[in-house]
Amino acid sequence: MIKHHPSETTLLTYATGALVVAHAQVVAVHVASCPHCVQQLQVLVAVGGALLEELPPAPLASDVLSRTMARLDGPPPVAPASIRSDTNSALQSLAMGRWRWCGPGIQMMKLARRDASGTRLDLIRVAPGVALLEHGHTGFETTAVLQGAFDDGVDHYHQGDFAEADGTLDHQPKALAGPECICLIATSGRLSPRGLLGRLVRPLLGM
Amino acid sequence: MAVEPGTQSYERLIVAIAQRRDRTAFTALFGHFAPLVTAYLRKAGMGSAVAEDMMQDVLLTVWHKASQFDPARANANAWIFGIARNLRIDARRRSRLVVLAADPSEDTPPVPLSDGLVAAARSAVAIRNAIEALPTDQVSILRLAFFEDLSHSEIERKLGVPLGTIKSRLRLAMTKLRLALKEER
Repeated sequence: MIKHHPSETTLLTYATGALVVAHAQVVAVHVASCPHCVQQLQVLVAVGGALLEELPPAPLASDVLSRTMARLDGPPPVAPASIRSDTNSALQSLAMGRWRWCGPGIQMMKLARRDASGTRLDLIRVAPGVALLEHGHTGFETTAVLQGAFDDGVDHYHQGDFAEADGTLDHQPKALAGPECICLIATSGRLSPRGLLGRLVRPLLGM
Repeated sequence: MAVEPGTQSYERLIVAIAQRRDRTAFTALFGHFAPLVTAYLRKAGMGSAVAEDMMQDVLLTVWHKASQFDPARANANAWIFGIARNLRIDARRRSRLVVLAADPSEDTPPVPLSDGLVAAARSAVAIRNAIEALPTDQVSILRLAFFEDLSHSEIERKLGVPLGTIKSRLRLAMTKLRLALKEER
């Protein structure tokens, strides 16, 4: 049972197409297994479709219709791949790189390097009972739980759940008992580890 | 310009493409949506050449995927806007490693086409009415988010209200819109 969803503002930004790609990918993974968010998204996209009618039509080159018509019998444009509706297959399609050791019981796989907005995308895999270093955020962080569960000190997040944190949250997530916890995480800005040990190992985590 | 439901709706044009590869229907659809989709992409910050290329991809996707259009699930405007935003996100993606366009509603039971067309026409009217019924401060947040491409902190600055207020207005708007659409289903 999914309990944690993206905030309305995050889902709205995702619906408009404006959300930073790495975060959009995390939202997409959550939405693929969340009927509640699918419905919200349908409403938002319908709103976008309705508001489209209000836009002043852009002037087009006079031959653009004929150029488009000439392509009708050609191959279709490359379409975005779609996610099947369960987190396991999402995990399988994501985890194609190499796991990197980041500390006892913690491994990470880099999926996308920092983009122009300073956002990176990683998979993180934490053994049951292992806690990450306590850290704060300088930017926005989104997480989709693909397997297992974690406790961020405030609440529990299980498979399918979505967590978002901004610059105001300090937390020390800890994987709960059960299967190892695997999450897809997009991080904007830098993490700011608390304590000397945290600052010492930051280079190790590549943060 | 709104097309009367039941006569020659945009949904019917898409169905005509799906059933008969109807080029006249495509031309009509293009005439209406190409300038609007281009306007959306321009507002999203694209240069005119890039926006025009992507608009062509959007309309070509409509042509090729017309058979997947299900008016019971989305009216023509929502479907075409959805394609445009998917392509927009996809274009910024660096690798094709991560899949994006979640579409789990594929497993909803099929609805007869005629019922679907009625539902699409109704949902288009319902959503328009629901938007018109929203307080101005709620609609302006939606407009800014969809077509000015503003982040929430920019919306915050532009409207001069705190983020918490924006979030609560948005939540109110979403609840009303969802209810309005639900009544139509």
